[in-house]
Amino acid sequence: METKSFSGGAHVPHFKSFTDELSIQKMSVPEKVIIPMHQSLGAPCEPLVKAGDKVTVGQKIGDSEEMISAPVHSSVTGTVREVETLWYCSGDIAKSVVIDVEGEEQEFVPSVKRDPANMSKEEIVAAIKEAGIVGMGGASFPTSVNINVRQPVDYLVLNGAECEPFLTCDHRAMVERADELIAGAEIISRVIGAKKCMIGIEVNKPDAIKTLKEKTEDKDLFEIVPLAVKYPQGFKSIMIKSTTGRDVKRGARSAEIGCIVRNIGTTIAAYEAVVYGKPLIERIVTVSGPNMKQPGNFMTKIGTPVGHILKHCGIEEVEGHKVVLGGPMTGQAQDTLDAPVIKNSTGVLMLPNEMVREQLPFSNCVRCGKCVERCPMKLYPNQLSMYAETENYEGLEQWNIMDCMECGICVFSCPANRPILEFIKVAKPVVKKREMAKRNA
Amino acid sequence: MSQAGRLPVSSAPYLKDNYYLETAMRDVMIALLPISLVSIMFYGANAVFLIAVCMATAAVTEVVFRKIMGKKPSLYDGSALLTGLFVALLYQPTAPWFSAVMATIIGVGVAKELSGGLGLNRFNPALFGRVAMILLAPVFAAFAPGALSLSTVEVVTQASPLALLGGGMDMPSYGEMFVGFQGGALSESSPLALLIGAGYLKYRKHIKLRVPMVIFATVAVVALMTGQDPIYHLLSGGLMIGALFMATDWVTAPITYSGRVIFGVCIGVLVMVFRVFLPPTEGVAFSILIMNAFVPVIDKATRHLAFLEPKEA
Repeated sequence: METKSFSGGAHVPHFKSFTDELSIQKMSVPEKVIIPMHQSLGAPCEPLVKAGDKVTVGQKIGDSEEMISAPVHSSVTGTVREVETLWYCSGDIAKSVVIDVEGEEQEFVPSVKRDPANMSKEEIVAAIKEAGIVGMGGASFPTSVNINVRQPVDYLVLNGAECEPFLTCDHRAMVERADELIAGAEIISRVIGAKKCMIGIEVNKPDAIKTLKEKTEDKDLFEIVPLAVKYPQGFKSIMIKSTTGRDVKRGARSAEIGCIVRNIGTTIAAYEAVVYGKPLIERIVTVSGPNMKQPGNFMTKIGTPVGHILKHCGIEEVEGHKVVLGGPMTGQAQDTLDAPVIKNSTGVLMLPNEMVREQLPFSNCVRCGKCVERCPMKLYPNQLSMYAETENYEGLEQWNIMDCMECGICVFSCPANRPILEFIKVAKPVVKKREMAKRNA
Repeated sequence: MSQAGRLPVSSAPYLKDNYYLETAMRDVMIALLPISLVSIMFYGANAVFLIAVCMATAAVTEVVFRKIMGKKPSLYDGSALLTGLFVALLYQPTAPWFSAVMATIIGVGVAKELSGGLGLNRFNPALFGRVAMILLAPVFAAFAPGALSLSTVEVVTQASPLALLGGGMDMPSYGEMFVGFQGGALSESSPLALLIGAGYLKYRKHIKLRVPMVIFATVAVVALMTGQDPIYHLLSGGLMIGALFMATDWVTAPITYSGRVIFGVCIGVLVMVFRVFLPPTEGVAFSILIMNAFVPVIDKATRHLAFLEPKEA
């Protein structure tokens, strides 16, 4: 199969065979859910409920007046136990609504069925905003803001690369929920005025490519783009370049390049929001790892604690493992099994310690050039790490530190064990401050 | 600040390819195994002695220098031992052990540790040590004439093919030179063994063969242009080990592919300048060291644009 790709990147073992043939199952409903008020980029929400309040599935429990923000809804029916401020491993501190689940009826029942063809663009954007739809691949940018473009955009790019190892939630969604995906893509394309919808899929998902090719055969809007299996194929700028061939310029928003990229899960959620008024209260989560007893892809309620998910999959004890929310390259290890699944949690992974990268003592850069060769943003990660180590912010600016999308391929590749990404992450805020100061001066 | 009952965390990425500095150094040692064995086969105890002395000296030098400089020992990464092995391979089997020891000390101690340790050294340590000893030879000879050669085993050595060529003598056949030929430094004894080693490094993705290829091509082209036999030039002297192992040294070569090509072309030209216009001594070593000095300039000149850099329409 002819594939498109990008310059740089590397093959990372993808460990997808644990779950890539398992169809989507329902995750059992936990006894309690923990729903953070800050699950998107932009402003956090203010809770609309207090301890003791009764809530029902799909009820809005958090909202914000800010433009860039997405409301949060209850994923269960029950009673609010408390609203507390919790610290999350992602570094966020957010108010969270803890809800005790009560009653048997925990499914969202749509009260409407709308025909998107009869809806105006404004109505569609409003429905997506109201449903709290955000990018579910990791970035969590509110979709309503993303698609509310002033000028028509040439391409809608659906990101079906799923380049992160272990994860198969988008893969299964493409195979099992292709009709909703296509309908969702048509809705978004109409809103943004896209003439073409490119669906980029890594070729390690042949069944997804085949299904979508068959289903879009008679639709001119769609083009399925098989992509080489290479990390980080699914990062936004890379995806745009691979599927449309367009260059992404520094600082340009996707719309200015004429491309809007959406995640697979997000597109399906947007469809449900527009047609059924269904808020984003559940998502597909890949539960995997070499020692996972019953791995799988589970439709999981937002707020479900990781511990509940692991129990559901036959795991009682996590000793000797790291529990990671998200993928193994960009996800976040959790320090408590109470950590909840949120809107962008693609996976719950239990990685044995011997598999996990250990931060060994590191040495000087030995100039092997692997990070330079592999960096998808064509940066010099080795230089950046050295400048960050010596706090040379001038150098960091000159070598474009802010371009880094933190894919982690440099750290994965470094034979000298240099924590390149940690250096970069620590230095970025300082560089940003300096840039702001310069602009204001 | 770990709270009770909290699980240990670390930062992403959580996966790592199994390629570490130790792995890399071990790979290069494995790659040097064929040539080491060939030279031991040819020169027996002399070769064993030379290799053992150099590797031991390298290890001791690194430990001592790092101790004095108050740094943690780094012998485990294997880079010192590797430098020792390289130095030994750059010497002739009958060479005075004292000179090889000094070359090792200068290579590991001065060229590497005093420049800040592995990664910060601008010059290839083994070549630096070897060339330093060539330049310092008159000094040492003045101090201790005759006492330098303690070689006890009598071996028959011949002049290297390059010297033969220079002296207008009969040349060995291509086949002999390629597979195994006694003469010159240990590393000059078998281009075939070196190529096998380089093939292994290529297989392990430690090096890219395109860079040595550029050097070989340049040498061949210049040889043809000056009316010389390109095959003799490719097979003789330090060109094989230089191009395959020294010019591909991570630390002392340019970091980008285009930079490495420029580096290779310049080395090729310099080698031929040395060979054609100057007496036949370590032209390859000098060429590579000279180009080592230009690496920062080459890196700067070949810096590629970032992905997000606005492209010219």
